[in-house]
Amino acid sequence: MLQYLIILLDDTSTSFCHYENTKTERRLIPIETLKQGIRFGMMENLMIQFVYPDYELPTEYAEVIESIDHSKIKPMATDADVLVLNEWAIPTDAVDIPIVLRTSKKELFARYRELEEVLKKCQRLNVVITDVETFTEEDFNTYKDVLTDLAETLKTLYVGGKTPQLNLLTDRMMLKEMNNCGAGDTTITLAPNGKFYVCPAFYYEDEADSIGDLEHGLYIKNKQLYKLEYAPICRKCDAYQCKRCVWLNRKTTLEVNTPGHEQCVVAHLERNVSRELMNDIRKHGTFLLENEEIKEIDYLDPFDKKE
Amino acid sequence: MKEAIKESVGIWQHGIAKNITFIVTKDCQLACKYCYLVGKNTKERMPWEVAKQAIDYILDQEDEFREESVVWDFIGGEPFLEIDLIDKICDYLKTEMFRRNHHWFNAYRFSFSTNGINYHTEKVQNFIKKNKSHLSIGITIDGTQRKHDLNRIWKTKDGFSPKPEEEKGSYEDVVKNIPLWLEQFPNSGTKVTISSTDISYVKESVLHLYSLGIHEVNINVVFENVWQDGNDKEFEDQLMQLADIIIDEGYYKDYVCSFFNESIGKPMDRVLDNQNWCGAGRMLAVDAAGNFYPCTRFAAYSLRDKKPIIIGNVHDGIDKNKLRPFLMLDRTTQSPQECIDCEVASGCAWCQGENYDAAETNTIFQRSTAICKMHKARVRANNYYWNKLFRKLELEGEREEYEKNKREVKPEIC
Repeated sequence: MLQYLIILLDDTSTSFCHYENTKTERRLIPIETLKQGIRFGMMENLMIQFVYPDYELPTEYAEVIESIDHSKIKPMATDADVLVLNEWAIPTDAVDIPIVLRTSKKELFARYRELEEVLKKCQRLNVVITDVETFTEEDFNTYKDVLTDLAETLKTLYVGGKTPQLNLLTDRMMLKEMNNCGAGDTTITLAPNGKFYVCPAFYYEDEADSIGDLEHGLYIKNKQLYKLEYAPICRKCDAYQCKRCVWLNRKTTLEVNTPGHEQCVVAHLERNVSRELMNDIRKHGTFLLENEEIKEIDYLDPFDKKE
Repeated sequence: MKEAIKESVGIWQHGIAKNITFIVTKDCQLACKYCYLVGKNTKERMPWEVAKQAIDYILDQEDEFREESVVWDFIGGEPFLEIDLIDKICDYLKTEMFRRNHHWFNAYRFSFSTNGINYHTEKVQNFIKKNKSHLSIGITIDGTQRKHDLNRIWKTKDGFSPKPEEEKGSYEDVVKNIPLWLEQFPNSGTKVTISSTDISYVKESVLHLYSLGIHEVNINVVFENVWQDGNDKEFEDQLMQLADIIIDEGYYKDYVCSFFNESIGKPMDRVLDNQNWCGAGRMLAVDAAGNFYPCTRFAAYSLRDKKPIIIGNVHDGIDKNKLRPFLMLDRTTQSPQECIDCEVASGCAWCQGENYDAAETNTIFQRSTAICKMHKARVRANNYYWNKLFRKLELEGEREEYEKNKREVKPEIC
């Protein structure tokens, strides 16, 4: 069921996920399109998330945006609800809003120790690895070591009474079912051209790949394929924190409902270290009592255990 | 031991043998009206270097191809147009499988589906003599001359489909080779394709093929969305008449027609009967450019509206991520609710390539239902056939004998 509407306010709106936004030419969403988009969201009962570019919008836009309850995803800290960092420019002060850090695997592997300080100062940190599809066997090993080190930091913080969230490790501990990106199922995107897309990545990859527009409404062909139950690998999977990025799926396997090997293994490395973290924290006291223990498994890619 | 494996019938069945197809040419002497190959041409002939690279890659990856046996399949267009290349490929395959002590050595078969026109030629006959113990060859003959010539016509000298007044059927050029073929491969069956225009010839065509000495006639209706209102009724009538003759005249004792199959027309369990019909992805095809496909139906020359699905090439190998959707496909995920709930679902086939080509998006997960009415017509006639046959056998006290000796119908897998 549709729940969220993402509105890209400009062609240069920040990416907050796996895709790169390579557009450099500004194209601000026309104010009338913005109003119609908000109206659509209200009529469909959708929670609206505005994605901002790195420049200040004209004042009349602020007025329109404030006419509806919403979240602001911004590449700068001023009045954002979600702060996106496209570089490792980590804030030194305490931050009380969720931070999204977009990083390459190379930078993550080299600089992940810097995150230990961030975790002490923020409530939630989402790390998005922008080149997951390029992971090699060696990268998987390195990533496991990185996660293990970060888990040690988190354990110390949790035992000490602080409970910051790091999507890679704490989400799986807290989830009881799949909680993935939802593009095309729970979430759609409105682009500055007035057309709807499965997610921003689909817009930036091919403007012709729309799923409707404000004039005619939504038309998502093969809509069922965005739902979990139509994803043969994922519907039996318990890496609940996995992004299950449908754009990445399509990029690697040509199908929106089928993840590539790399996305699966990365998610399972996170799941397995989350399991160890949860068990370690529980040694020090009661923790998430209502959640079951994460089971030990003998595979990293659920494709390998298909029946 | 290996000899025993080679001779075992079961090993060549779907899922046990790896099927690897060389698209040796996209050329054909014919311009069959129902042919799904929309991009046939005379230019894309497989160079020997590409064939060799493909073989080297596949045999180098022995650990990735663990099937007990292999069917090296040659397809076109018309494969026998490239008999010199095929002969060279087969010699190299035999030499390399032996030299490497590959587990497929002596567990292989060379397979051909041909229009039969060049079957008698010296080169083809020499090839057959050289490889006979490892060969299976199917000649396509559609039935009576009028049925065959309705669709299976010669192309023009310039390589195009002829104008209606210039159409020339290929029946006589094929039928003359049937006796030689049956002498060399006595248990061979033929594959017949039914499209909208030739339904009225189904009965006479099956009987005609029986009269030519072909004991196994495998028929399918085309998967494309060509069916018109009333075709299902006409089809049902033809099959009912055919059923009467097969039973009344005793053909059922020695002949098989794949339209009549005890297992079809039953509801299917969501969990227990959830496997995919098609073998795409478990097969491998390579074309003249050295590109790999999950099946020939995903090559550009087979597709009307979609881009080809290339899963790798002879230089870089196979991208396993591109194979994952094919290997995860199951019946219910790709079927609309009406198919899942269908009370006569079993035996209703689909072609993954046609599904992809006809789908609303670039997906293999949307099943085409173009043959729905035709399948239901087949089921009704099939029910009639078995009810009539079993009653006759019971009245004549021959049911037990029949069950003991009945000829198995091969699964209809493309």
